[in-house]
Amino acid sequence: MLSMDDSTKFILKRLIRRIPLQMLQKTLSKWTYLREDLDSLDFKQSKYIFTECLLSLFEEKGTTVKRITELEMIYVIENPNQGMWHGFQLSDAEEDAPTVDLIQFKEQFKAHLIELNSHVSIKIKKHTDEAIWIRIAWGSNFTNPNHLKPTYAVHHLQTPYVFVNGLSLKHKPLLFQALVLATRYGSMKDAHLSGRKLTAIRDLLMRQYQQMFPTKHPRPLQEKNPVPTNPKIEKEQAVNTENRMQVACEAFGDGKLPELQKAVYQLETKFRDDSNKTLKSREEPFRGVVEFSSTNLLESLRHAVSSGIAATPVSALLPAITQKRRNRFIITDK
Amino acid sequence: MEEPRKDVLGHLAMLEMKVNHFAVKQQVSCEKEHKATIQALLTKRDQLKSEIKTTTSLQKIRTLLDKTGVPCQRDVDDLDDGSENSQLLLLMARHTQLKDLLYAHHLIGGYDVLLTEGKGVCVSMATAYESLYLETYNLEVKLGPKIRISRHNIPPFIPLEMLVKQENLQTDFSAFLDTLSQYLNAYVGRRQQLNFIKENHKSVQLMETNAFCTILVLMLTVPGKDIAVLCTLEYNNHKRCLPTRVKIESKDTVLPSSPQWRKNQALFLETPVHRALVTLKKTGSIV
Repeated sequence: MLSMDDSTKFILKRLIRRIPLQMLQKTLSKWTYLREDLDSLDFKQSKYIFTECLLSLFEEKGTTVKRITELEMIYVIENPNQGMWHGFQLSDAEEDAPTVDLIQFKEQFKAHLIELNSHVSIKIKKHTDEAIWIRIAWGSNFTNPNHLKPTYAVHHLQTPYVFVNGLSLKHKPLLFQALVLATRYGSMKDAHLSGRKLTAIRDLLMRQYQQMFPTKHPRPLQEKNPVPTNPKIEKEQAVNTENRMQVACEAFGDGKLPELQKAVYQLETKFRDDSNKTLKSREEPFRGVVEFSSTNLLESLRHAVSSGIAATPVSALLPAITQKRRNRFIITDK
Repeated sequence: MEEPRKDVLGHLAMLEMKVNHFAVKQQVSCEKEHKATIQALLTKRDQLKSEIKTTTSLQKIRTLLDKTGVPCQRDVDDLDDGSENSQLLLLMARHTQLKDLLYAHHLIGGYDVLLTEGKGVCVSMATAYESLYLETYNLEVKLGPKIRISRHNIPPFIPLEMLVKQENLQTDFSAFLDTLSQYLNAYVGRRQQLNFIKENHKSVQLMETNAFCTILVLMLTVPGKDIAVLCTLEYNNHKRCLPTRVKIESKDTVLPSSPQWRKNQALFLETPVHRALVTLKKTGSIV
């Protein structure tokens, strides 16, 4: 019976520690590898004892690192809103880009990436929502693939978007090259959109949230978000409230908005305020960074406009987040 | 005794004077009011008269436009007024004509076009399949030296950039919109067929689908013999709801070339897949 080596044990322990206790049973039951053994596991034990039981079970079965990475992938796919996701966009599609299918993509991606770095461990899985999940553990000539710091990439076929988590600068060109060749596009560039929640980044970049467009029939008053206030004030202010709501929704969206945490504006513009003569007289641009952060940035901005805290018309820089689908901007004097 | 009475009488006299004075004033102000009302009504009448004149001239030009398409300058000049007014009337007639045209387009189920602020247009395309209205897709376009798409909610797998290049957005905007509408309607049609299969044909297994609904692989079961048949439908013409290629495979190598299954293959090419499956069930080809 092959015994698991220390690194494998360590990886398993780290993974089980990462999965919260409440999700442990659900996640493990999704893993087909443990189907028969699931009944023999006692989930009511403390996590430490449970981990030890699991370890001994795996040692009996001779579980390899690859198997454990299956479990990690199941967990990450079910709980994608952790870490930091970055959005990328493919451009210059070749003629056959729209007809790339799953099998072709898998084969091509694996082949190209292994050609660039033969010491990688790749796992590709198609999720039910048509998303292709790729897990890559990177190694080198001197080390085995590092399963403690894997890169995850998500791509939806027939769309030019890729979402990446945990990619180091060193491996970026390799992953990009493999993706570009496998999807039959010309290049891949940064979409300048990042956040903790994959669902938010994906919904914003792929336009899968409720946008509001000008219509002939503006929606009736008082239908959405009835806020219980003094009915006399409400009646007086009904038209104003509705107008502000309309402007806010047109700028940021309707209903549930993608949950972004930050928007960063890098300014490289000349200082304009009259109150500070020294700064104003300088010729070079005044470099500054403005950062908005919130648990749900778009919702906060929309509320600021709809409640009247922010004056309308809204500065074009804020709705640019939804319009241009990015949250990192560099603003220069043109 | 005299003093208080005088005061009371004096007071009463004063009050009477006030009343008289007030009554006279009232009369005068009433008159003023009446005069003002008359003036206002007169101006309103003049305003309405000129409006009637404009509307009738507008209608005349409009009927000319509708008939000939190009108004004859002579006819326009005939409708008195100055030359500037006739130009304005012409523009107004054109405007109403375009509005009616857009409304007619909306009624027949074509896309809606709305003006937005900042020199732009918003096009709303409704999609439908088998008499059922499905999503409305919107496209906001900025008009300038170059037409630029600023915002939209079209799904990412519709190749918008390719269509922009193909249909040459700058020169033939309506052709671009027509093609886009075809793509969108075909997509929702294919997706709706897939939904019907999921709902009504639970015995059919969906082996492979994709987000754009351009490939569909079904696993069908032949009754009695319990043989599985793999049916691959490829929708390579993205403007249509019907497949361009149908492949029938089975472990039983004779089956795909049998006359019944050749007919079934042809059926898949001509009928929407959910209806074809109903026919196949009726004829007993599948379970």
